Amino acid sequence: MESKYVLTRSGDDLFSVAVDSPADAQALAARLREAADWVEVIPGIASVVLRFDAASQSSDAMQHTLEDVMASDVPALPISDRLVEIPVVYGGRYGPDLDAVSHAIGLSPEEIIAAHAAGEYTVDMLGFTPGFAFIGGLDDRFRIPRRQEPRQRVAAGSVGIADGRTGLYAMASPGGWNIIGRTSYPLFKPDDEDPFVLSAGMRVRFKAVAAEEFGE
Amino acid sequence: MSITVVSPGLQTTLQSGPRIGKRHLGVPANGAADPLSLAMANKLVSNAWDATAIEATLLGPTLRFDSDCAFAVAGARARLTLSGQVQPPHTTLFARAGEELVIGGLEIGARTYIAVAGGLDADKVLGSTSTNLQAGFGGFHGRALQANDVLKFTAAEANRLRTPKRFRPEMTASWAVHACKSVETELLDVDSLMNLFDGNWTVCRRADRMGLRLEGPTLSIDSEGRMPSAGVIPGTIQCPEDGAPYVLAADAGTVGGYPRVAQVARADRHVLGQLRPGDRLRLLRREPDEAVAVLRAKIDYWQEWLPDIAAILS
Repeated sequence: MESKYVLTRSGDDLFSVAVDSPADAQALAARLREAADWVEVIPGIASVVLRFDAASQSSDAMQHTLEDVMASDVPALPISDRLVEIPVVYGGRYGPDLDAVSHAIGLSPEEIIAAHAAGEYTVDMLGFTPGFAFIGGLDDRFRIPRRQEPRQRVAAGSVGIADGRTGLYAMASPGGWNIIGRTSYPLFKPDDEDPFVLSAGMRVRFKAVAAEEFGE
Repeated sequence: MSITVVSPGLQTTLQSGPRIGKRHLGVPANGAADPLSLAMANKLVSNAWDATAIEATLLGPTLRFDSDCAFAVAGARARLTLSGQVQPPHTTLFARAGEELVIGGLEIGARTYIAVAGGLDADKVLGSTSTNLQAGFGGFHGRALQANDVLKFTAAEANRLRTPKRFRPEMTASWAVHACKSVETELLDVDSLMNLFDGNWTVCRRADRMGLRLEGPTLSIDSEGRMPSAGVIPGTIQCPEDGAPYVLAADAGTVGGYPRVAQVARADRHVLGQLRPGDRLRLLRREPDEAVAVLRAKIDYWQEWLPDIAAILS
């Protein structure tokens, strides 16, 4: 069967499908959720990982479902018309890596803040820790790898950059992104049915605010 | 009804079943690192298999029962005393108000479970009461237990039971788990692939609810380190550029950026919760369908004692 995707079986209860982009991963994931009852559908940056219930589902049947969807036209997901503006306090104690980033990429902290807050971005995916958002579309001048030594604890609301993306920590967690600021915008509402405010496909802007607006 | 923590042990948390179906939101599994032992303890006090219980790690807690209750202990081998009297694991036990349960250092295996009839009260977040230590939610205020914490519960009746010998999971310092190839296994050279599945691995000091680093033959991997973040689950074995494999466990993040070189079979993922630093580990290579057969055989075997075994081995 001709398909633009590459399928790999992994372990006894996982499949992985390689795709070209985060948007393709989200679109394929949405179709696969409709097509079968998976235990987990995990879209990544360039893949979708699927977990089925090997105790009650046949791997052959799940693979056939998967191949059928892969051979069909998978419609792109509609562009979200929702634009979320996230206020960020850049630098200082909220953005402890701003100076290091400035040094590494040769832009002044002011230029970094101006450029970061000027862009309009798209949430590529959630993943890693609860509600953590991978936000694509970062200015090319921001090419910087993750920190050599990940931090044991990064505060909730932290705004990091790495590998051409902005990462937004919805909750405190260990992490290795270069933290340039922090937002007080509530990203996790535990009592809501949809507890994470951001979702894949959503459009995002950042707005530089003073620390006083942080409510401290 | 309540239990007071007199001393917490090394890392004692409240755990129940995993968080399932939310990895696309970044929500990890959490839950008992060894769900089979959790289910054993709960069975002995007539609870649902995934009622909230206490998970102790390497060094157990001292607990004071503030009210009469039935409880049971199952998992890693440890000496347990109630009011100074040695008590058996895998047995329904009855405590009087004021009695102290002392669980010392775990001798074989890494985690033991203390279940109380009726199940413990805990914060339910994102579908489970299990503690998520990294983000700090679920369980008891999202953290490991500390001295003077008071654990509440509504007491329930429990039938007196003992786990039959043949259903007690064996504890050892030398483990073997079934494993299959994963998505990036082909990045290993031929020798490394052989070493991964035939080598003798030792669990490093860095072994916790996030994952376990293995020490042994250095694997040679054709990668520049990080790859685009892709889905992982407990039991995924990653190989960073330093060549030391890292086995993801219950609290691991939902996506990872290192090559995935093997996947522990679903049947044996519960074993990962019992691996302690210094333990030996072998990965028994199986084709995916052979690993499914192992799972189904295991389900058939345990079904008689634990009717929910398929869910327990999730």
